[in-house]
This record gives sequence, C-alpha cells and structure tokens, in this order.
Amino acid sequence: MKKIVVLLLTIFVCLCVQAQNNDNQRYLLTTKSSTFGVGLSDIIDPYLSPLVYSGVGLNYNLDTRRFLSDKNTNYSMQSTLALSGDFLLNPALSSEMIYLGINYGWGLNYHFRLNKNLKILAGGLWDIDFGFKNVSRNINNPVNLDMSTNLNLTGLLMYDWVLRKRTLHFQAKLQSPLIGCMFVPFGGASYYDMFEVGNLDQSFHFSSIHNKQGLNQTYTVDVPFYRSTWRFGLNIQSLKYKANDLVFKQDGMSLIVGTTFDDISFGGRKKLAPQNFISTNE
Amino acid sequence: MKKYIYILLLLVALLPSCIEEPAQQPNTFKGNFESLWKIIDTKYCYLDYKHINWDSIYIVYKQRVDTVKNQYAFFDLMGNMLGELKDGHVNLYSDFDQSHYWKWFTDFDPNFSSTLIFNSRYLGTDYRSAGGFRYKKINNGKVGYMYYDDFSDRFSDTNIAYIFKSFSDCEGIIIDVRDNGGGYLDSAEQLASYFFTEETVTGYISYKTSVGHSDFSKPVQITTPSHNTIQWARPVVVLTNRKSFSATNNFVCRMKLAPKATIVGDMTGGGGGMPLSSELPNGWLVRFSAEPMYDVNMNHIEWGIEPDVNDSLKVVDQANGYDTIIEKAIQIISQ
Repeated sequence: MKKIVVLLLTIFVCLCVQAQNNDNQRYLLTTKSSTFGVGLSDIIDPYLSPLVYSGVGLNYNLDTRRFLSDKNTNYSMQSTLALSGDFLLNPALSSEMIYLGINYGWGLNYHFRLNKNLKILAGGLWDIDFGFKNVSRNINNPVNLDMSTNLNLTGLLMYDWVLRKRTLHFQAKLQSPLIGCMFVPFGGASYYDMFEVGNLDQSFHFSSIHNKQGLNQTYTVDVPFYRSTWRFGLNIQSLKYKANDLVFKQDGMSLIVGTTFDDISFGGRKKLAPQNFISTNE
Repeated sequence: MKKYIYILLLLVALLPSCIEEPAQQPNTFKGNFESLWKIIDTKYCYLDYKHINWDSIYIVYKQRVDTVKNQYAFFDLMGNMLGELKDGHVNLYSDFDQSHYWKWFTDFDPNFSSTLIFNSRYLGTDYRSAGGFRYKKINNGKVGYMYYDDFSDRFSDTNIAYIFKSFSDCEGIIIDVRDNGGGYLDSAEQLASYFFTEETVTGYISYKTSVGHSDFSKPVQITTPSHNTIQWARPVVVLTNRKSFSATNNFVCRMKLAPKATIVGDMTGGGGGMPLSSELPNGWLVRFSAEPMYDVNMNHIEWGIEPDVNDSLKVVDQANGYDTIIEKAIQIISQ
C-alpha cells in the first residue's frame, strides 16, 4: 500500500511539474483591431479644382500589434491597413468627386509604462499611400493620383479604467508625417503629357514638415462584452501639403466601430502549438 | 526623453499653420470674376505669345461686372472676356449655356461641303463605315477615300487593316479630315503611325511651371511611332480646312513629316494648346489652353498649319458636283 501511495505521489508531482512547465511557456499575442468608420470629409485638390469639395466617406482600418519577442516587452511592432472611399460635391453642387484611398504602414513602438493602468507608446511608422481622385466632368485633367511614402511619428496613450464588472480600455492615438517622398504634378501639366509623353520632371518631391503636415488622431474606447470586445471611437484626420505652387488639403472626421481581440498563431517548425491547443488542420 | 517628446508634440501642433492656403473667392459676381480672371492669368499658356494684356482686360471687365444684373448677363460678360483670348479651346460652361469663340473658322471660307462628298462621284450612298471612317474607292477604283470627322470616334488596328485591305489595289489614299474638330490625341498618334516607317520626332510640348505668363517647362519631344504590322507605303493625301482643329491639327502636324504624305486644302484651324479645366465658385466650368504644342521646328501650332498644297473649293466645281480639293488630291496621287 505504501508503495502504491509513493508511486501515486511521484506521478502527481511529475504531472504538476509538467503542468507548471506549460504555465511558464510564454506566447506572443497579436492584438488585432478592425474598425469601420463613417464620416464627413473635405478635399482641396487644386490640380482638379480650386474649390473645396465636401462629402461623406466610409473607411476600414485593420491594426495589428505584437511584441518583438517574448523576452523583450518594451518594443512592439505594428502594421496598419486603411481603405477609404469618399463621395464629395463642390459648393455649388454642380460637380462631384470620387476619392478612393489605400494606405499600408509598418512601424515600431517603445512602451513607457507610467503606472499599472497608464502607458505611452512612441515610435515610428513607415507607410505607403495611394489615392485616386476623379472629377469626371473635367477636361484632360479628370484624375489626380496621390502617391506618397512617409516615415511618420506615432504616439499612443493607453489607459485602463477598472470598473466593477469590466475594464474599459481607452486609447488616444496620434500620427504625423515626418519625412518622405510624394508625387505632385504641375497644375498646368496634363496626364497625357506626364504619362504618354513622359514629361515627369519635378513631379516627385521630397517631403518633410516644411511642405507636408498632418495629424491623424484616433480616440477609442474598448468595451468588453460577454464574448467579444468592441471598439468605439472618433477619428480626425488633417493633412496639408504643398508642391509646385499647389496646396492640397484633406480633412476628415468619422465615427468608428469595430472589434478588437488578441490572437496567437502557430506554424512552421519552430512555433508548434502546445498539445492542449486544437487546430482544424489536425 | 520627455523633453524631446514635448517639443515634437508642440511642433506637430504648431506646424499646420505654416502652409498658407490660397483664399477662396466668395460666390458673388465679383468673386467669380476674380476667380476666372486669376485662372486665366496663372494657367492660360498663350497670353504672352498672343500679346494679350490681361491686366488691361481686368480693368475693363471689372467695371462692367458692377453693372451686371443677373447670371445670364454675367455669363455673357465672362464669355466675352474669354473671347479676348481668341482661342477655340476656351469655353465657359454653365448649367444653361456654353460660351464659344468660333472666329477661328467663321472668318474663313468653309472649303468643305458634306453634300459634295456624299454625291455619287465620291462616297455616294454605298460607302462602308468602320471605326468612325466612311470609306470607298473612287476615281474608277484607283484612289481610296476615307472621311473621318471626329477624333473622338475610336478605331482599332483591325478597322484600319480592313480599310487598307479594301484599298490594296489603289494607287494611293485620301484621308479627309476637313470639318474634324478634334478629339483624342492618342487617336491622332495612332492614325499617323500607319504612315511612318520609323519612329520620328514630330513636335514638342511643354507646360506651365509657375504663375508667370512665360514660365514653361523645357519642351519635350512628341514622337510618332511606326506601327509594327500595319503600314500604308503608297502615297497618302490629307485634306484640311479651317475646321480641322485641335487633335486634327495635331494629326496634320505629324503627317507633315510622314514620308509619302501631302497635305492639301486650306490652313488648319489651330488649337495647338492642350486644354485643361477649372471651376468658379458658382460651379461653372472653364476650359482653357494650358500646354502649348509646337511643330518639329519649335513653331507654335496654335494658329494652324499651312498645307503643302493650298487649294480651295471653286464655285464652278461645286455647281458641277466636284470637290476641288478632292480632285486636287486625286491629281497628286495619279502623278
């Protein structure tokens, strides 16, 4: 009997140690937030028109963030994908503009932990931006393209407000272009001249805060519900840039709603899933 | 570290005020006048070339704006102001009217009659039609005749291949672009490419780089390629008149250098400036010449292109059902 008890105790201890080993294993989670927004926007594109076009827009944002490694939780990497579409009218309502845009960015942030509930992330984000603007009634200048790449400064303030039943996660995110390159045509050049004849001289410009200024502000609150965490917020964008004597401006404000969740991915030879994780591939 | 973050945040907050936006004109008669005058002053490309004193025009028309009572009178006044530019590529578009400058052809003989080209000696009623071209063999089947009245009518290589095939036993062809007011520039290039044996520099183009009346970019070559598979290697005669304008003017500019081409008829109407458009605060659209184009010798083609053989319609010929200019082309091909 004594032997049996010792044997059972040994097995129990071994299992506990094994379980403890699994508990010590750290996995990097990826925080993914996808949001949809609807709002108002104003665009001035003097290549197309000197007037302010105003209208409504829809946008979609996918934001993912994870730490660089499980040993260093001071740095996180971030990738963003933004899609937007606007329908705008000139002040006299005699002409319409369609705007379609896509932006992809990748960046790094350093985490300053000010206290248990408050932290600041600061860093940089390199992005590629492509926009298509169309004023169909224009003659020989119906389209203008926004093409640019920028290194942006990013800052993110996070605060967790602990309530009795749930914790609300507040975020204030700021992003501003710092340095980059952009395509801006001359006001008097047609796209025939630029792209069929090849007269592209001085259409690509170095950009920095002297000729390109913008601030993208996003204020959100993440509210955990029974099975998911929902994000609600406000996005305010302001961008102004100048080249070839033309001043372009794009302002927008939208209400956003979406979800945010943490996920973990396993794959390849090194990142195998633990036994207690069940994959649909099995 | 915190200090630098504060400085950066302060910079980000303050810098948006550094780029000055141009002031928006109010939607009043005066505001719209100022806006239109400035668009032409800063973007129109022929003010210096045509020796137009745009500042004087400002003074004259500003006084008249104060007397305008309604939008129709204002539209007419602005249309008249644009008429001072003497440019068929300049128009003002409102919801109720469109301004024109038509003296580039109304001051001259038409040198074209649609009645004549559709009589039985030429197209008649049994012509074929493809890609905007109406075509038929004339002069007892010795000459191919193609009438093309709009460079906005797209045509394909296949269209042209069929037309050339139907003219395969002809001594030469006539391309009649009289009364063709223009259209797409790339169609002009495409049509010309069937008559070049190698890529050839056929002109230049430049654009405004700043607000000064003579601030232009360095002219860039416009070339006409040689089509890879479709070529017309026998004589070709291009017929022109004063209503051969804009893209047609550009086509003629290219064809002047085609190896076996002869331009016959009247001087073209011009329209050598590539037009762009802009808007006034009241929503009216204004079209204006923005990019000057030149021939291969860097001469402006705004006022038109001289034909190689100048000819005009004679009344006696018309009365007898003959188109003098087509007859001249037949004679050149038959030589």
